[in-house]
Amino acid sequence: MTIILIEKYGKKILELSGEIDMNASPVLRKELMTLVKKGVTPLVIDFNNVSYIDSSGIATFVEGLKGMMAFGGKLKLAALPSAVKEIFSFSKLDRVFEIYGSIDDAINS
Amino acid sequence: MKNSAVITIPSHPQYLSVLRAVTAQMCMLSGMSERAVDEVKLAVDEACSNVMKHAYRGDTGRKIMIQFRIVPDSFEVIIEDNGIKARPERIEGRDLDQVRPGGLGVHLIKRAFDTFTFDKRKKKGNRLKLIRHTKGYHDNYTDRKIRQKDS
Repeated sequence: MTIILIEKYGKKILELSGEIDMNASPVLRKELMTLVKKGVTPLVIDFNNVSYIDSSGIATFVEGLKGMMAFGGKLKLAALPSAVKEIFSFSKLDRVFEIYGSIDDAINS
Repeated sequence: MKNSAVITIPSHPQYLSVLRAVTAQMCMLSGMSERAVDEVKLAVDEACSNVMKHAYRGDTGRKIMIQFRIVPDSFEVIIEDNGIKARPERIEGRDLDQVRPGGLGVHLIKRAFDTFTFDKRKKKGNRLKLIRHTKGYHDNYTDRKIRQKDS
């Protein structure tokens, strides 16, 4: 998995690509929680090139969301491929995360 | 004739991608739909991640053996380790209405497989047998949960 932090229209976007599994999650967690602790908000996660996610990846985003909520920040998930979106839906987490169809939708929301 | 394959992977998370590739290939050989392949691949990944976390407590130098069997009417996966004994009665996923990290893996395994059984005859370590019915009667996870609640 690769993680790149970019900025678009003044908003921080974490671009992810590859597979988010138990091997990748600790690296992602470190990057995500560093941004959360810095108070970066809103933070958009670009899932467009994520091909797989397991429960450790899901747990990482739940932790990130909780960290954001603690200071009123916003974590926005965008461009989820259907297989990834389905896992959020199965775990009923699509009800608690802000999920957008595209990066632009997330930025403009 | 039984069609089967066995792989042994080190208990290091970097080998989960290898496991997923083999699992997907075996699922495709058994004729599963693309969606079923995704569900089973994720479930086997979750089961082996659990072995790494709980049975081996993060020790990356151990081994996990995974056997796939394509038999008439079902797809079976047997996962063996020599780690700490699981306590099946304590394995329970979180309430999916709760928002907290963890506790999702068991739901993902039980969604993909109709049967989830630890072999009590194995003296040391664990032997987990997962069975998915393939002849058009694989249980829907939600229906099964409702039936269990009603019974």
